[in-house]
Amino acid sequence: MDAAATTTRDAFEPTEYHQAKSSQGEIIEIKDFNLWYGQAQALHDVNMTIEKGMVTALIGPSGCGKSTLLRCLNRMNDLIDNLKIKGRMTMDGMDIYAPGVDVIGLRKRMGMVFQKPNPFPKSIFENVVYPLRVDGVRDRRELEEACRRSLEAAALWDEVKERLEDNALGLSGGQQQRLCIARAIASDPDVLLMDEPCSALDPIATSRIEELIDELRGTYTIIIVTHNMQQAARISQNTAFMYLGRLIEYGQTEVMFTSPFQRRTQDYVTGRFG
Amino acid sequence: MLNESLTGPEAGGTARRRRPKRTSRAVLIADRIADATITVGGLMVIFAVAGIMVFLVEVVVPLFTGGSVGTHTQYRLPPAEGAVLYTAVDEYNTVAVELGANGRLAAHHLRTGAMVANVDAGLGGADITAFAATLAGEEVMFGLADGSVRFGSVGIPIQVLAANGMPAGLRRLDERDATDGEAVYTPIAGGQVRKVALSFKSEEPQRVSDRPIRLLDYRLGGTVERPTRAFVTIDDAGAVRLSLAESRVNLLTRKASTRVSTSALPPLPDGLRPAFVLLTDKADQVYVAAEDGTILRYDTRDFDDPVLAERIDVLPGDLRLTAFRFLIGEQQIVVGASDGSADVYFRIQNHNAASTDGYSLVLAHPLERQPAPIVKVAPSKRSKMFATADADGNIWVRHATSEQTLLRLDAGEGAAGLVMSPRDNGLYAVDSRRQADFWSISVPHPETTLGTLFGKVWYEGYPAPSYTWQSSSGTDSFEEKFSLVPLIFGTIKATVYSLLFAVPIALLAAIYTSEFVQPRVRAVVKPMMEMMASLPSVVLGFIAALVLAPFVETWLAAVFAAFLTFPLSLLAAAYGWQFLPLTVAGRLSGVPKFLTMAAVVVLAGVLAVASAPWLEDLFFGGDVRAWANGDVGSGAPLVFFLAMPAAYILSALTYDRLAGRWLPALVPSGSGGAAKAKSLLRWLVVLGGAACASAALAAGMTWSGFEARGGMVDTYVQRNTLVVGFAMGFAVIPLIYTLAEDALNAVPEHLRAASLACGATPWQTAVRIILPAAVSGVFAAVMVGMGRAVGETMIVVMAAGNTPLMDWNVFNGLRALSANIAVELPEAVRDGTLYRVLFLAALTLFIMTFVINTAAEVVRQRFRKRAVQL
Repeated sequence: MDAAATTTRDAFEPTEYHQAKSSQGEIIEIKDFNLWYGQAQALHDVNMTIEKGMVTALIGPSGCGKSTLLRCLNRMNDLIDNLKIKGRMTMDGMDIYAPGVDVIGLRKRMGMVFQKPNPFPKSIFENVVYPLRVDGVRDRRELEEACRRSLEAAALWDEVKERLEDNALGLSGGQQQRLCIARAIASDPDVLLMDEPCSALDPIATSRIEELIDELRGTYTIIIVTHNMQQAARISQNTAFMYLGRLIEYGQTEVMFTSPFQRRTQDYVTGRFG
Repeated sequence: MLNESLTGPEAGGTARRRRPKRTSRAVLIADRIADATITVGGLMVIFAVAGIMVFLVEVVVPLFTGGSVGTHTQYRLPPAEGAVLYTAVDEYNTVAVELGANGRLAAHHLRTGAMVANVDAGLGGADITAFAATLAGEEVMFGLADGSVRFGSVGIPIQVLAANGMPAGLRRLDERDATDGEAVYTPIAGGQVRKVALSFKSEEPQRVSDRPIRLLDYRLGGTVERPTRAFVTIDDAGAVRLSLAESRVNLLTRKASTRVSTSALPPLPDGLRPAFVLLTDKADQVYVAAEDGTILRYDTRDFDDPVLAERIDVLPGDLRLTAFRFLIGEQQIVVGASDGSADVYFRIQNHNAASTDGYSLVLAHPLERQPAPIVKVAPSKRSKMFATADADGNIWVRHATSEQTLLRLDAGEGAAGLVMSPRDNGLYAVDSRRQADFWSISVPHPETTLGTLFGKVWYEGYPAPSYTWQSSSGTDSFEEKFSLVPLIFGTIKATVYSLLFAVPIALLAAIYTSEFVQPRVRAVVKPMMEMMASLPSVVLGFIAALVLAPFVETWLAAVFAAFLTFPLSLLAAAYGWQFLPLTVAGRLSGVPKFLTMAAVVVLAGVLAVASAPWLEDLFFGGDVRAWANGDVGSGAPLVFFLAMPAAYILSALTYDRLAGRWLPALVPSGSGGAAKAKSLLRWLVVLGGAACASAALAAGMTWSGFEARGGMVDTYVQRNTLVVGFAMGFAVIPLIYTLAEDALNAVPEHLRAASLACGATPWQTAVRIILPAAVSGVFAAVMVGMGRAVGETMIVVMAAGNTPLMDWNVFNGLRALSANIAVELPEAVRDGTLYRVLFLAALTLFIMTFVINTAAEVVRQRFRKRAVQL
């Protein structure tokens, strides 16, 4: 039983071994990762490590597999039929795809923000504390505290503090997306996965979100998928360029955008294709 | 350039040929035709539905319209010599017959007043002092001044003759009828002739008293071969006698001999002047009424020892009793008074009655009061309808049971003779100035009003007003009872019990396939469930009635046990599954998991059957059916059973609030199994708490003398609501399932993703996010299922026993509106009351399903709007 403890439900917590491993500054490691949708291979031998506390941007043209890769990290692809994977993906040294791994516990450590703002049709308060609710937290003070903390962190508190009981669907698009960020960080995760969080927003809302991502950096490890190369350049420390399911190049953002090693990366970041 | 591109290649010139951009004529025409066809088709559908509705209403409306008068003829009759004892009209409203106290029998043509015949009845100039006739007419009786009585019969025999049977030299009465001075001849359809004649017979006098007979009533009982003729007489001295006359025919001489036996009733109280006397048809009750409103009821069931059973005063103050007559059936009495009131009384069983026989005469139907004192009451010969004439000449046609006044006629002066035609289609009145009125009337549905169809009605002999449906019986005097309430109740009962069974299963199945299984499994399961809906309901009903009903009857305890073993086994298995190491559980999550679930279901069934005898012995006194009947055991198990779900919820809430913190702390945390142990511990504690609470409640209620049985659980019959619930549940489950599943699936995927990404389990996602978002759609699904259950016919016809009762007993049958239509349709005469009431039942059903389905659709539209918002 002890041997299996690393993969049981309430044990998706870093052990000493894991902490030692992560002290090197790596939180996620992807090794020889392949993925097929039925017969079609969507990811080819992806190898990369994500640094702790950094903002990592995944860029690439449509259909290059960056969203797929992101959704593999918290196993949101599980429900898709005919999905087959090969390779390893670890978080703090623990295999995300080990048989019988506690997916629910994994997701609690990885908040996710989606392309389209997707607040629940509930009040603002209930939206933010939802991760705590499903965790069985009932104490009103604790919930209020978490709500306030998360909304402040998501820079939304001042705008909504007067109407926490209003329906979240009444917020503007940008506010809704910041609410989703607040919800994602309410359970205090280690990693924030962001799947094109600004693609449905106007430029002003986008800049608010970008500022927010910058503020959250350090506290959380952020992996962001984006189509917008300026955005990647502005907010990320590391950038991965993917093309046709392959990781073409991965490195520091400055290097990627100024003097990439790969020809295709240069073509893409300079807008020659994509 | 634009022009070119529009006009096509001819104008285009040199470049490559371009296809014309203008829409071709053929396409336009086809589009118009399709448009028109679809519009017409759609309108026709709407018209068809509206047409059905209009047709139903049109058939139903006559139920609520009282009566109508066709023709009214008025003429003056020649003055009568002496009093008129008896007036009668024949079945075809051809002649009216009057029997005078002078012994002459006169017939005149009803529509013209022309005299047809005037013969001597052959009473030999006897001094007639009292007269009685049976309600059916024919049989009459005379009381004579010498204290004797004479039986007689006044007939209006009707013969149908061939066309050549009409004698020559007839005197024409009107354009249709002719007479030969003895009978009236009427040509009828088929070239035949109807002959309406007169006949009179009388027997030898029978002496019953020494003094003149003043009052008399006469009933004919027994069989046609050996009639018993009972009569009651009151003579000048106030002596009341009940007599039975038995006739025998000597087989050798063919001579009839009559033997009269007489029994004296207890003497009348001093000072009571009898004005009316009535005798019931079995000669078991004698009613004597005095002018001051005193009614004496004698119990004469024991012919040799009659007793005064009851004495009541029905009139207040100085009102005078002016009419006292039986309606058909000789149970209901119309009491007319000088204030114009005409109320209906009958005898009901009443254990607190101040009478010697446990019955009492009650005012059952107070009717509308007429402007002047009632002088005559003429009962119908075929229904509880009757006509009352007052001193001012108002003649009202009323119905006792429905308490409505159907017609108000004006005869000018108080009637001396009043008679309703044998077929209730005419009313004949003669006033004291010998002015005769004949109205041909039409009162097709006197017994139905909104009140009788949907309210409580006090039927003859019933202890209290009630909702009753009983449309046929063996006797002529039977009154059809049309209350739709028991049928509506039956429909609701069947719907409620089947939904209680179907909704949890259907909704849980919908949640399961939409939230828990792979789309591949769903693609198999959903069509299979939908295939269930294609099972004809007649097959379901057939199986329910012939297989399920006997099975449930035999294995009743097991069915009870199954309600416990199925959820408990499944939950226990689910908690047990948690303890499998995750690696093992992950590997077994596909087909093996399904097989395990199936095995658990089978096991639960086996467990139910196995534990049934044990359960039966321990809780149900050894026999569930006797227990249900209230013969053995106590109501505690039922309270326990019913309180369990609520107790479980309460227990779970209490646990989370009170023990939720410290109790799990007893489980050493840190180990991998801690969470599982905690959840199992929670379940066991909550379940145990709920069981204890329910048991305590059951024990407490039983101890305080509360009997839970008698409401939802009572006497067991084989065709019962439990069986209907199962069978109809089977019919409704696929419908609710498939619509609810669609509603759940329509919740946008991004909400599901958001919830799962927050670390919620699929169950938490389903219950906290998906279900609330889809709630209106799920509600609509339940409503559609309800609509189906309400309209469902074959299952309730075959499995429900069709007893129009009103109780919630799950072990008793019911009769639904739909089943009632199916069952009674063969008995309904076109345009008869039953026929129209069945149409009203159809209309009611139509409205019920219409309302339910409309509500479902409205909710669904709202849901769709909301779903778009998300």
